[in-house]
Amino acid sequence: MISVRTAKGYDLSLRGAPLETSERLAPPATLAVLPEHVPFIKPRLTVKEGDRVAVGDLLFTDKANPRIRFLSPGGGHVEAIHYGPRRVLRAVVIRREAQNEPVKTLGPPMDLEEIDQCPRSDLVERLLAGGVWPLLRAFPYRGIADPESVPPAIFVSLDAREPFQVPPERYLANHGALLTPGLRALKRLCPVVHVYADAARRAFCDTHKDVITHAVRGRYPADDAGVLLFHVRQSPKENSAWFINGQDVLLVAQMLQTGQYPTERLFAVAGTGAAAPRYVASRLGAPLKDLVGEVRCQTPRYTVGGVLRGYAGDPEGHMGLYETSVTVLPEPVEADFLTLFRPGIDKPSYSRAFLSALRRKPLPMTTNVNGGHRACIACGYCADVCPVDIWPQMTFKSILAEEVEESLAHGLLDCVECGLCSYVCPSKIELAATLQAAKHAYRKEQA
Amino acid sequence: MNVFRNLFDALRFRFEEGGRFHKLYAFYESIETVFFGPVERTPGLPHVRDSLDVKRFMMLVIVALIPHLCFGLYNAGYQSRLASGLSMGFLPVIWSGIWLVLPMLIVTYVVGFAWEVLFAVVRKHEISEGLFVSCMLFPLTLPPGTPLWQVALGISFGIVIGKEVFGGTGRNFLNPALTGRAFLYFAYPVSLSGDQVWTVLSGARDTVVDTFTAATPLSVSASTPASQAVEETLRSVGYGALKLFGGLYPGSVGGTSTLLCILGAMFLILLGIASYRIILGGVLGVLCTGFFLNLIAGPDSAPFLSLNPFYHLLMGGAAFGIVYMTTDPVSATHMKQVKWIYGFMCGMLTVLIRVFNPAFPEGVGLAILFMNLFNPLLDHIEMQIRMRRRISNA
Repeated sequence: MISVRTAKGYDLSLRGAPLETSERLAPPATLAVLPEHVPFIKPRLTVKEGDRVAVGDLLFTDKANPRIRFLSPGGGHVEAIHYGPRRVLRAVVIRREAQNEPVKTLGPPMDLEEIDQCPRSDLVERLLAGGVWPLLRAFPYRGIADPESVPPAIFVSLDAREPFQVPPERYLANHGALLTPGLRALKRLCPVVHVYADAARRAFCDTHKDVITHAVRGRYPADDAGVLLFHVRQSPKENSAWFINGQDVLLVAQMLQTGQYPTERLFAVAGTGAAAPRYVASRLGAPLKDLVGEVRCQTPRYTVGGVLRGYAGDPEGHMGLYETSVTVLPEPVEADFLTLFRPGIDKPSYSRAFLSALRRKPLPMTTNVNGGHRACIACGYCADVCPVDIWPQMTFKSILAEEVEESLAHGLLDCVECGLCSYVCPSKIELAATLQAAKHAYRKEQA
Repeated sequence: MNVFRNLFDALRFRFEEGGRFHKLYAFYESIETVFFGPVERTPGLPHVRDSLDVKRFMMLVIVALIPHLCFGLYNAGYQSRLASGLSMGFLPVIWSGIWLVLPMLIVTYVVGFAWEVLFAVVRKHEISEGLFVSCMLFPLTLPPGTPLWQVALGISFGIVIGKEVFGGTGRNFLNPALTGRAFLYFAYPVSLSGDQVWTVLSGARDTVVDTFTAATPLSVSASTPASQAVEETLRSVGYGALKLFGGLYPGSVGGTSTLLCILGAMFLILLGIASYRIILGGVLGVLCTGFFLNLIAGPDSAPFLSLNPFYHLLMGGAAFGIVYMTTDPVSATHMKQVKWIYGFMCGMLTVLIRVFNPAFPEGVGLAILFMNLFNPLLDHIEMQIRMRRRISNA
């Protein structure tokens, strides 16, 4: 096991962590797939409202690469297809059949030996047909991996340090046996598989020391594959590596072992706005309402996937394919009186400008911007936290000046989109969003 | 609290779209956000934001400067009454000081704020709080009793030419307060230099009492006769090291006390507002250069060369400049490691100007402005080095 230390980053101390309890939800009445939150795809629907579907039936493919298939997480009928502005396909909602949910078999079950012997091209076909291929994503843009290519390495992140995610001990508790076959399958795709976990989880690292290749010590987002890539890469060739999350490896393994589309997921429900923050076992694409249950604030925001890099989910909507957590935060309603002059014992801050710096204790947060928009005053906080050593305050200026070459040289494509630069900015500049948009624009240009 | 809420709610519509004073919205907003933190929902990525904003960032600098202002009031009154041979009771001294300094402060804020509002209204952006720091710093660099029209002119130049013509706070490359100060120095050399300007006579007197030394420690040092040591000369006119450290001697309003500068530096560094790299670099620059001058000083050279390097930090505004002026984040280097070089060069140039240029007794302001010009170059160099170290990803 190689030790890696990441120097920068920042751990938010946010109140509302999930309690150490798990709950298994009754199968929800509806499930959905959200093409909107699958990176860069142009979905082509193969079903229409009212169609009967089984678990594992094809719902849509990617126009750019029709081999990439998205399957139904539930058996029943297509209840609704939601479009957003400019006919963006937002959600395909399936109403489950309460009894005898139809399940489609996508291939013969494979055991460990068969996985090991399976030729690479066959395995790729199996993963594509099984609908789990989209779980593999590629750097630098974090889109779905290209099935035609062979990556220089695959990074498997067992951990997630963003508040609040499911810790690996928990999701491996019941499905630990799936980890090995999953990793073996990845090994067939690419001989170099880096599996890493937070070195602070000593016991966990010890029990899994035969599979973990890197123990990473560092603050958020040390768990991100992009950060590890930044620290371990030796040459520019490695920049096109692939990555996959720990829980998703289990889905890959389950799909191969059963020959059916896997539908089980463990979610973290958290945030000061959730009445019962806890871990919930449910189905892929479960409704947010079912997961969260009772809400404790007037105007909740459901941040799906984490408070830093997640998206604001529709409270009536569903979980996406990749996200394993929903954190409910209150939207700001009323302005604080004389907040400027308060010592700020309860004000969370990266800086030391509040008394809260003296006690590292989880504090409640709202989705308030917490300040007026100003020009950059070059305080340098963003560069202090950037995990991949970009200087966002310089890079965002080069982006706004449309100096593409310069921003690339600054390391734009290394950006892991962790959101920390925007978080710490006292001028409230949308640094992370600017960098992300520039990356996406550059990707479009390259295509 | 409700009183204020109601007041702002009652006034708000007049400043909003369609209101009578809509043009002055920036002004209204800057006042309201002093009382009530802003409420705005994040667009996501990330959904939560730090509690720190520029307002608090700048307010903390002002908090650090308040002791300087209070001490400056006292010192101005003290020197004035001492020179005039008046009673030295605490309250009368404070009272004299208030009359000398407060009008300067008020004029600075009114004029500076007026310019900022004007530019904010024309450019349709919010008022940036950097202004409040510049307006606090500016009068502290002036001699007490500077004519108010000069104060107004100086801060106007500092804000408009030093900052606004380049796009306002965040886009200026010179320290606005120092720009204004340097402008006054060069535009009105007669009324802003020499030994007499640092002390204001009060009462009916037009000459200082005989026992009073009007000359500042720096001019005493620069004019030390060749046969004497500077430390001796300073002591002979009453400027012992401890007195210089405390700051109770004629000089600019806020810049005399090295003790307060050290406390302020600790406050700002502990809170992470000022860069310790710049401050330590500056101190090192002063000391190393002073020490180097000691080494090259021969028996025939000016006695200023042989001065104990620490005296450079005790006299005049070097400490004040290094703690509060070099650390203005916008006009300092933006990259991290070159901050050491920037600070060091500021300290070095300060000493060199003091020792070798008889036209300028104090050099810290000019040194900082000069180094401000080089900061984009220093940033560029560090950025190039960093980019070369990266494994390319493009």
